[in-house]
Amino acid sequence: MAITRITNIANTIPDASIANEKLSDIVNFKNIIINGDMSIAQRSTSVAGITTSGYNTLDRIRVQIGTAGTWTQSQSTDVPTGQGFATSLKMECTTANASLNTNSDLQIQQRLEGQMLQYLKKGTANAESVTASFWVKSNKTGTYIYELRDLDNSRSISKSYTINSADTWEKKTVTFAGDTTGVLDNDNAESFRINFHLAAGTDFTSGTLQTSWGSTVNANRAVGQVNLADATSNYINITGVQLEAGDTASEFEFLPYDVNLGRCQRYYTKSYEDGTFAGASTGYGGLFGGRLANSYGNQPVQYRFFTKMRVLPTVTSYSLTGTSGAVSDTTTTAGSPSSDVSVTLARISQSGIGYFVGWTGAGGSGWGFQFTADAEL
Amino acid sequence: MITSVEKIYYLNDDGTKTNVFSNVYKVIFANGIISNVPLDEANTDYQAIQEWIAAGNEVIDNGA
Repeated sequence: MAITRITNIANTIPDASIANEKLSDIVNFKNIIINGDMSIAQRSTSVAGITTSGYNTLDRIRVQIGTAGTWTQSQSTDVPTGQGFATSLKMECTTANASLNTNSDLQIQQRLEGQMLQYLKKGTANAESVTASFWVKSNKTGTYIYELRDLDNSRSISKSYTINSADTWEKKTVTFAGDTTGVLDNDNAESFRINFHLAAGTDFTSGTLQTSWGSTVNANRAVGQVNLADATSNYINITGVQLEAGDTASEFEFLPYDVNLGRCQRYYTKSYEDGTFAGASTGYGGLFGGRLANSYGNQPVQYRFFTKMRVLPTVTSYSLTGTSGAVSDTTTTAGSPSSDVSVTLARISQSGIGYFVGWTGAGGSGWGFQFTADAEL
Repeated sequence: MITSVEKIYYLNDDGTKTNVFSNVYKVIFANGIISNVPLDEANTDYQAIQEWIAAGNEVIDNGA
C-alpha cells in the first residue's frame, strides 16, 4: 500500500506535504508479479526441447504450450540498456510450427493466489483497475495479446500491443479496467493468471478480442495474435514485468535479490547451492545424518524450509550423485557417497521434511541427500 | 506425465511395513524423476494424481 501519512513521536506531518513523486520509489510490493525482473532461476538457466507445459528455468514463470513448436527457454543477459535490469526471459524456437492446430497455444504465464490480490477489490463497486508494463524484444513484429484471467469466476480480459521494430527493446504499457463482477477467493489456490500469448490456434482467435471483462470465451482470448512459432530462430525476450493497481504505470519496483528469492521460495525451493540445479552430483548444500540404531527404517530428517511454502510441496530427494528418489549411503567416508538407497520422504509440511522411509543401513551408518520442494500453482 | 503411483507406509523396526499410511505417494513421472507427493488437495501434483486415477489408472497399495 502507498504511504499516506508519516508520524513521529512529537508531530504528525501534514498529508499535503508528502510529495507523491518522492514516495513512488519506495519499495512497497506494488508489483503483483513475482520475479518480474527475471533474476531468480532456481531450476535451471537454460532448458531445451520444450514441447510440454510447466516450469523450466525462471521462478514463477510457466510455459503453457500445446502443439506450437519446440522451444529453448533461458535466463538471458540481453536486457534494455540503462534500465537497471540484468536478466530477461528468452524463448527461442528450435522447431517451427507454421500451421498451428485449432487448439494450439503458446503462452508465458504467471499464476497468482487469490489471497494476494484481495486489495484489488475485484467483484465490488470499488474494483481497482490494473496497469501492466514490461519490456519486450523479438525478431517478429506485429500484434501480441496480454490477457488477465479470473479462474474463480471464469472471467477474462485481453488487450493487444504491438512490437514495432524487430530486434529492438520496447517498453509496453497496457491498462485494464477494474472488474465489478466476480470476487476472488481469499485462499492459497490459483485465482488469477496473466498470459503473454505468443501463438494461438483458431480456437483462441476466431472471435472478437474481449477487451472488457466478461465470461471467458476461448475464441475471444487471443484474436490477432501473431504466430511466433512459425519459423525456427524466432525469439522473444521479456523483462521488467509489472502489474500494479491503478491507471498508470510507475517505475519498475526492484526488490533486493534476497527478498525476491524469498518470495519465489514460497513456490519452489531446493537444498542445492545457488547456480547448482536438481540432479547435480554434489554434496554442497545437502542434508547429512546418521542412523542411531539398528532397528529404525523411518529416519528423522528435521529439515525446515527457508520460507513457509504455499501448500504441502512435492518433494524430490536426490542422492549426492544425482539419482532421484534416493539418498546416498555415506558410511564409508563421511560426506562422500558410496551407494544409493531408494527412500520416500514423509512428514512433509509447509514448513519442512520430517522423515524419510526406507533406510536399510546398519546402526552407525551415514546418509546424505539433496532435495527440491515444489508448491507451484 | 505420471507413469506410476504408490502409496507409502511407515516401516516397523524390522523394516516391514506398518499399516500407517505416511500421507505420501511415491510418483514416477515419464521423465524418470521419482518424487514424493503429499496428500494435499491444493498440491497440483496431487491434483494430477486424482486426474490420473479418474482416467482409469490404479495406485499401487502394498500396505500391511
